[in-house]
Amino acid sequence: MRDVAIVGAASTPFGRSQWSLLKLMAEASHAAMTQARLGDRRIDAVCVANMGSARNNRQAGLASALVDRLNLFPAAAETVENGPASGASAVKVGFQAVASGMSDLVLVCGGERMREVNNLEATEFVSYLSHRYAEYPYGVTLPALAGMFARLFMAKHGVTAEHLAMVAMKNHANALLNPNAHIKMELSLEGILHSPHALMNNPFVADPLRFFDCCPVSDGAAAVLLAPAEMTSDLTDRPVRIAGIGQATDTQAVHERPDPTELTAVRIASQRAFEMAGLEPKDISLAELHDAFTILEIAQSEEVGFFKRGKGHIALAKGETQIGGRLPINTSGGLKAKGHPVGATGVSQIAELVFQLRGEAGKRQVKDPRHGFALNFGGFGNSVVATILSRGF
Amino acid sequence: MPATVNAAKCKSCGALSYPMHFLCPKCGAREFEPEPIEGEGELLTHTRAYALALDYEQRYLTLGIVQMDSGIRVTGQLAIDEPRMGMRVRATVGTVRVTGGSEISGLIFVPA
Repeated sequence: MRDVAIVGAASTPFGRSQWSLLKLMAEASHAAMTQARLGDRRIDAVCVANMGSARNNRQAGLASALVDRLNLFPAAAETVENGPASGASAVKVGFQAVASGMSDLVLVCGGERMREVNNLEATEFVSYLSHRYAEYPYGVTLPALAGMFARLFMAKHGVTAEHLAMVAMKNHANALLNPNAHIKMELSLEGILHSPHALMNNPFVADPLRFFDCCPVSDGAAAVLLAPAEMTSDLTDRPVRIAGIGQATDTQAVHERPDPTELTAVRIASQRAFEMAGLEPKDISLAELHDAFTILEIAQSEEVGFFKRGKGHIALAKGETQIGGRLPINTSGGLKAKGHPVGATGVSQIAELVFQLRGEAGKRQVKDPRHGFALNFGGFGNSVVATILSRGF
Repeated sequence: MPATVNAAKCKSCGALSYPMHFLCPKCGAREFEPEPIEGEGELLTHTRAYALALDYEQRYLTLGIVQMDSGIRVTGQLAIDEPRMGMRVRATVGTVRVTGGSEISGLIFVPA
């Protein structure tokens, strides 16, 4: 297997976009490709991550449409649909193509334009991730699954509404330092939890989770360009290596899990990624976790192995996960504040690690990072991809 | 005949599963017989969800996961004003969604 490098990484601004889905994806892709000294080299393959373009944007066959838009003919094109884990799944598919020697230059682009449909349609679309017969017919949505998970997890580990709010405040603060973030709004405990207006500012969405515990519905795209290690020095001066990838699947219906507060696929995917990279959680300089709901950042930080079970909220409260802390989590603002265009998210998490490892993260730069960890979480933990990136070779 | 919601009982080892998988999660056999989900259980967790999908016009839905005394676990709607973790509940079957004019039956839990 060949070593694989990321030689370009870019993101569009996330939010409500005036651009079409293909325009978003072309902008991110072009920005990633132009970072590499490609010369006469051609892109061999394009791997797209997307969950709902056929439903929400009236476009199927998205990868070949992107090849067309970017004039990358005759590059091979395929779309990966793996729910909200599509992004990191697509990077894995691209990695396999380069590592195997079948392709040299592979462009991976994740994109989603969710605001093309109204909020009701977007909630309905995302609820298709639930079990078709045992969950969906009951009106189960992703926020509802997260609410039921949060209630159990909080009771078991002593996590409070204040801890959830701390995740939101931290990630909103980080997003203020990220020009591409969707939500640019500082939060205070007073405003979202303790003031007489808190229930109006921050109403319940699926109790105990409130509005500011949930990620926004976003448009956006992110892209990375992959190349074999031997080509890297021609293409870039600041290569980032894909050191490890791990993936795992859990039951589709959440109620079937032996302990519904455990995210088994997160634990197994992470273990596999650490094993492949020859690293341990203590070696990681920063992490992007899948905080579609605040409770998930806390739960995942434990399942990945950064903190002991039941201790994630304590590390959070001590400030260990802030920029400047022992292990900064979601420096980009996370899904919570950077935004969550579902197909783009996994690629965008990996792009944030690249920016940080190249020292290009501006005001949110972590000091001298060596290894970054990204966790992309599909369904309610049904399908999980963990990726570890390392600086240089 | 009133509507029922069925778990799958493996004809080979007798294990109950819900929802049904192609093969029995316990023994791998693929012959099942339907076993109505009925009786009582314990409410493991619940939520009042306000951000609803299509087909719902009410302000919120109360949903929960129940550990049935029969051993299986199920997700359903709750017709309970003040649900509490650990409370005893009883399964009933009613309309849980109306989609395109057709009524879908499912589990609705009431206090036991």
